[in-house]
Amino acid sequence: MHGVTRREWTKELLRKKREKERQEILDYRELSDEVLELKNKRVANKDSLLKTTQLLNINPEFNTIWNYRREIIKLLAPSLDQTFWDGELAFTMDKLKVRPKVYWIWNHRVWCLEHYPNSPLKIWLKELAIVGKLLEMDARNFHGWHYRRYIVSTVERLSGNCLNSQEFEYTTAKINQNISNFSAWFQRTNIIEHMLARDQIADKESFIDDEFQYIKNAMFTDAEDQSVWTYLIWFIKESALKEHMTSEKYSSMLKELTEIIELINDDDISFSGKDNIWCLKTLLVIEFIQKDILKEDIKSKSREYLDKLIIIDPLRKNRYLYQIRAL
Amino acid sequence: MSEQQLLRDKHIDYIASLDTKKDDLEYWLSEHLRLNGVYWGLTALYLLDSIETFNKEDVIQFVLSCWDHKTGGFAAFPRHDGHLLTTLSGLQILATYNALERLGSEKQEQLEKFILSNQKADGSFQGDSFGEVDTRFVYTALSCLSILHKLTKEVVEPAVSYILRCYNFDGGFGLNPEAESHAAQAFTCIAALAIVGKLDSLTPAQQENIAVWLSERQVPEGGLNGRPSKLPDVCYSWWVLSTLSILQKADWIDFPKLTEFILHCQDPKNGGISDRPDNEVDVFHTVFGLGGLSIMKYPGLRDIDPVYCMPYTVTKYFQRKYSD
Repeated sequence: MHGVTRREWTKELLRKKREKERQEILDYRELSDEVLELKNKRVANKDSLLKTTQLLNINPEFNTIWNYRREIIKLLAPSLDQTFWDGELAFTMDKLKVRPKVYWIWNHRVWCLEHYPNSPLKIWLKELAIVGKLLEMDARNFHGWHYRRYIVSTVERLSGNCLNSQEFEYTTAKINQNISNFSAWFQRTNIIEHMLARDQIADKESFIDDEFQYIKNAMFTDAEDQSVWTYLIWFIKESALKEHMTSEKYSSMLKELTEIIELINDDDISFSGKDNIWCLKTLLVIEFIQKDILKEDIKSKSREYLDKLIIIDPLRKNRYLYQIRAL
Repeated sequence: MSEQQLLRDKHIDYIASLDTKKDDLEYWLSEHLRLNGVYWGLTALYLLDSIETFNKEDVIQFVLSCWDHKTGGFAAFPRHDGHLLTTLSGLQILATYNALERLGSEKQEQLEKFILSNQKADGSFQGDSFGEVDTRFVYTALSCLSILHKLTKEVVEPAVSYILRCYNFDGGFGLNPEAESHAAQAFTCIAALAIVGKLDSLTPAQQENIAVWLSERQVPEGGLNGRPSKLPDVCYSWWVLSTLSILQKADWIDFPKLTEFILHCQDPKNGGISDRPDNEVDVFHTVFGLGGLSIMKYPGLRDIDPVYCMPYTVTKYFQRKYSD
């Protein structure tokens, strides 16, 4: 079980646990049997709905019961008012608070929003605020980020407004709260690509300068954090942004980066006596771009970086040896 | 720290004990995972070279009892709903016992229909008719079809293009396009491509980028995590190492350190393996811990096919290529 501390079960503790659970097991099995029987008979009324509520309260991971619940709701839908749907959303939220990583519950919540009477924009806007709260509780919850993208795309569809700049600011806020939030950095890459694809960045040159400055600040804030380095590698190597830079600008940006990274690395050496692993890994990427993409005639230090990495990052020694052979 | 050993007999006892825990509430609350659990237990026993610990006929009967005639797939437990995840577990168990013929041709056809009915226009798969889409289901669907010898160009080509859309710049894969990279998704995407012989739809540079990202999953404790800045967890020993093994880069992980981490997650008293040292064990982490050790050639464990997480002696009969 994920993250549950192992307990020593003495005979006495086990006896007490089983005594306590005996009645719970009987009740649970009886209820479970009853609901599955109702399901088998396709009974759809307020009582069968209530039975699924009772069962899901005990076991929110029981996917078949979520399925049955949806079948019941679909059949009862003509007689269900908005209060019911608000209640259903509240019910899934209660379950998500207990089990924030259970796929079935997220799935049921999406279904509720889609089947809410007329599925108005205002419930999706409310949902966007709710997912913001969920990501405050667990800023890396991957269901939460996935869910946010889905909500945003629906809000955009229903409102006809593009939320890219709002969502871009959202990632800035999340990163500023915690620079190690890779989920936010990752989402930033998605949004920038969208903004470029839709030509929503009027002054690309100043956008690139601002973003470069933002990355540099982050590097100086926490040079140990891999999130920033991974984002930097995206920025210089993978993003469509570089297509909007002249080769002179691209080249001088890489040179400036090399100087900064060497500076950060020297700081680390004087502080801890060791090179910074991510500095060396990023310098390798920069050299690769300079040599293989920009065809610049530079004095390569790749071998030196890899030799150092083998010593300071021995877990990945074989990868570095492979990379040396590939030089 | 003393040298840790694999507690083989204790793990066998632990797996054998799983079906005797009917006095525990947890046993009943986990029915929705039962068929998956049987597959995990059986595969763990295979790795431990003790497959006879389970009664073959009882297990086959249980699998058949999980058939859901309404969907035409397997459910986790009798009277539950069929789903792709549990359908794969059912087929894996039957194939491991060389008992696929027990299904009969009618059920095999229903299975094919059920699986194909869950493919969407963009090549992705939903887990059941309720519409959750995830790269996990692309893998389960292609693995099932490969076991049943029902792979066709019409299914595979859109599925492959969907997988490629889930590839991220950092070298990982997400559960959907634009979803953050996750190590379990690296396995489902790469192993799915391997099943259908389409690894070459990724460039050598992309394959290397994937291996680099996977090698970054090893943390100083020796274990592997699923995403940057997360805690290590034994199950990633399988998701990461099997994927690297498919890419022929398993040695990019430090084997002695990972072995030590997995062995430290054993329950020395009752057997079984947990996600992290001193946590509660379960059969899921037990099989994936053992699977990781097997890829690292830990002595006394049997080999396992990294693509299917099943014995090679079984997977050699599966369909790997489809006709154009």
